[in-house]
Amino acid sequence: MKFRFFVGEAVDSLVRNWVMSVAAIVTVLVSMFVLGIGAFIFVNLQNATSGVRSKLEIEVFIRNTASPDQISQLGDQIKAMPEVRSVNFVSKEEAMNRLRESMKGHEDVLDALSGNPLPPSYEIYLKDPSQIDGVAGRFYNNPIVDNDTGTHNGVRTGGETTDRVLQVTHYILIGGAGFVALLAVASILLISNTIRLSIFARRREVEIMRLVGATNWFIRWPFIMEGVFTGLVGATGAMVLFLLVQNFFVDKIINEMPFLGADTVPTFWLLLFIIIGGGLLGSLGSGLALRRFLKI
Amino acid sequence: MIRFENVSKVYDPNIVGLKDVSVQIERGEFAFLVGHSGSGKSTFIRLLLKEFEPTKGSITVAGRNLGRMRRAAVPHHRRNIGCVFQDFKLLPNRSVAENVAYSLRVTGQPPRSIRRKVPEILQLVGLGEKMSNLPDELSAGEQQRVSVARAFVNHPSLLVADEPTGNLDPDTSVGIMQLLYRINRTGTTVLMATHDREMVDKMRKRVIALEEGSVIRDEDKGLYR
Repeated sequence: MKFRFFVGEAVDSLVRNWVMSVAAIVTVLVSMFVLGIGAFIFVNLQNATSGVRSKLEIEVFIRNTASPDQISQLGDQIKAMPEVRSVNFVSKEEAMNRLRESMKGHEDVLDALSGNPLPPSYEIYLKDPSQIDGVAGRFYNNPIVDNDTGTHNGVRTGGETTDRVLQVTHYILIGGAGFVALLAVASILLISNTIRLSIFARRREVEIMRLVGATNWFIRWPFIMEGVFTGLVGATGAMVLFLLVQNFFVDKIINEMPFLGADTVPTFWLLLFIIIGGGLLGSLGSGLALRRFLKI
Repeated sequence: MIRFENVSKVYDPNIVGLKDVSVQIERGEFAFLVGHSGSGKSTFIRLLLKEFEPTKGSITVAGRNLGRMRRAAVPHHRRNIGCVFQDFKLLPNRSVAENVAYSLRVTGQPPRSIRRKVPEILQLVGLGEKMSNLPDELSAGEQQRVSVARAFVNHPSLLVADEPTGNLDPDTSVGIMQLLYRINRTGTTVLMATHDREMVDKMRKRVIALEEGSVIRDEDKGLYR
């Protein structure tokens, strides 16, 4: 009975100043949607970096001019190093096969190439990743390693890519969090303003409630519910939008461009988070308005 | 029922609402509070409702000291005081019955007792036929009856009326006064702030006269003067 009264009053207010309500709802929607997209990007970059890390630690590319003897000699040298856990030789042909595999559906691009420009390489896995730099350094001046003069770009360590990706992830995380925080503040202020308007619209009711002895919480509840509703409706919208985007675009990306290794976010937790976030924004907004504008 | 002991109320900045007022009103009494605008009548009533605290002195209503009352207890204190105002304070978008029911609902009464009490009290004030009308469709006198019905529906032990006839013509005022008189006869204490000289003189009840925040006269069966 009480609950129905509160809900009724809250819905009444929402409908009565629907323009402000819609503005607040849309802000919540956008902020929660950006939060979802941010989480999506973050999760994928995390996957990508951990993939890179486990995939490969050192890659040594060999000049096309090297003889088979020189190549196998280098292989023996590597195997003899105490830091090495395992080593894997990738021939020119295998390198091409791998490339083909990762570009499934677009092989015609590769057919246009004359011959096979890919160098053979050794993939080296270490017992302890912290020794990457020391081990990699041993190949910098090796004549059969495909270094351009003055550089050592024939030796690639997984760490470099990982560090770069991690750095980018870090920036995206900070930027995204900042953006979401700004939007969250805007949502709270807009919701608070909506509630302020409905406090004003219902000042007669509030006055009468006080006079006849309604408890303070009884007076507050409809306004709090209005705020929470606003937040929840916005969050639901964000959820729907996010799921649509995920279905239409992300699945497409995953299917069409498998080499990106994109993945969907664990949906249940994200959606739960969005809903709770929306409700929280709503209650903070109405709390703010009640503190400032509802004198009891 | 009501006891003011040396009560003063000073509003910022230095505007005196009440000055050292000591008054006692017994249970079941009917008392008029008279005086010019700004003489302190409204301050008196708002102090009773604990809308704010006195600057000095102590106030006891129905045996409870308001100064020692916790904030959370204030709503329950107000449920024991029915209020009627000059401007009726009705909700314009709700019917007569809903207006009365509203005050019962917001104090958490069960729907069943609301459905029983509302028609009963509206019959009592003579509006049994107009329960589903909106306040706008009623005359001023009828609107004030609705507001009296709302104030009395819980049978509070104290009914406070702040200029209840201020917006009504003399004939209609008589009707409202009769209603308040009948309520008083049920044992309810009635305190009425008013300007209405004729009414006060006709009723011959206790008159407490305020001027510039002080009680200048307090007599049984008094006149407005």
